[in-house]
Amino acid sequence: MDKSKEIIDKIKRDHIQPRPRWHFLLKDTLIWLACGIGIFIGAAAFSVILFAIQQTDFELTTHLSHSRFELVLGLLPFIWIIALIVFLLIAIFSLQKSRSGYKFSWLRLVGFSALLSILLGTLFFIGGGAQWLESTFAANVSVYEGIQEKKQKMWMSPEAGLLSGMVEEANPGQFVLVDFEQKKWTVAYDSSTFIAPVVVLEAGEQVKMVGKQTDNSHFTAEEIRPWGGRANRQKMQDRRGKN
Amino acid sequence: MYVSKEECRELSDAEAVEKALLQVDYFACLYNKYEVLLIRYIRRIALVSSEEAEDILQDAFIKIWSNLNEFDQHLKFSSWIYRIVHNETLSVWRKKKSYGKDRQVQLDDNLFEIGAEDSDADGTMREQKHLLAHDVLEQLPIKYKTVLVLKFLEGMHYDEISDVLKIPEGTVATRINRAKKAFEKIAADQQPGFFEKE
Repeated sequence: MDKSKEIIDKIKRDHIQPRPRWHFLLKDTLIWLACGIGIFIGAAAFSVILFAIQQTDFELTTHLSHSRFELVLGLLPFIWIIALIVFLLIAIFSLQKSRSGYKFSWLRLVGFSALLSILLGTLFFIGGGAQWLESTFAANVSVYEGIQEKKQKMWMSPEAGLLSGMVEEANPGQFVLVDFEQKKWTVAYDSSTFIAPVVVLEAGEQVKMVGKQTDNSHFTAEEIRPWGGRANRQKMQDRRGKN
Repeated sequence: MYVSKEECRELSDAEAVEKALLQVDYFACLYNKYEVLLIRYIRRIALVSSEEAEDILQDAFIKIWSNLNEFDQHLKFSSWIYRIVHNETLSVWRKKKSYGKDRQVQLDDNLFEIGAEDSDADGTMREQKHLLAHDVLEQLPIKYKTVLVLKFLEGMHYDEISDVLKIPEGTVATRINRAKKAFEKIAADQQPGFFEKE
């Protein structure tokens, strides 16, 4: 018997129907959706990593026995590193599973996904999205310890020579500082103290300091820097320029 | 409905696919066009009898029918069906490997025919070469055997092999190079100088 006829008979007899086109369209759409989500969330995670790097006080490497890398890791919640890796993997595997994905080597797929995430993540960071995302997370997820929270903890070690907070009252040679735990400190400084040019010692200014704790409520500053990162400093300068 | 061979001959693969989706009998055109090629390919890869190869092809064609709407017009239809047949063949080959290691299959003389360059060689020499080529191919890992069969016996280009095996063209090239070296090494060990270029 003609083999082709056998097959046609079997198809007719068993009522075998071709799977509908929408089935494959849905599959393709889901694959591309997974790829898009992977790249987008990967980009968001990368932007928060950039934000953490921006918020890291690399000047501390001279005071603390930590490398720059350790300082960034100390500040960066690991969830973002995990998110970056997981969602990048999702993007890479989705791309590979797309109709033409097999035509590209793994190296190209990894490179393409990583590059796209880095590019989008950088744009998101420049647009201020990273800070917004991070602070939204910190405000709404109780178990999440945000970058600012970690930074405050790092700078709330007067016994280790690190103190931060808001200037409440400033006088020549000393000022009153309220730290992030609402404790008042009298901070002394002199001509040998390094004061960052952008810092204006007046009420309302948020600062971080390296120095020495002299007693329970007194601190002698060796370095005074603005609390925020470069972006915050720029904002402060703009604000002062307008005033 | 019967579709005549003449009518089938006038249809391109894409047209036959379109017509088959409307009227299943046109699917026979595709089967008849590729039957001989694919049965030979199945036998080269899985070393099965003609009857088993026909069964594999029948199962593969039912899968091709079920997935006919997935056929991407950017791809050559032949590459797409080779892919499905290849996967079906490998799955049978793996089962056979696990359950029937000692089974012997009678091979056709021309199943592993080498290239046209050997056409002037005498019959005995040709036969010996075929048998040795078959022996050597059988000793190669399946991924090497597959690329060599597709490239040198099925006469496919790198892009077509890439579409069949769903691997990048660069990987196809690397795999063919490695497979050739492995083939030459086994052949040289088995019968020194037999495959050397004149």
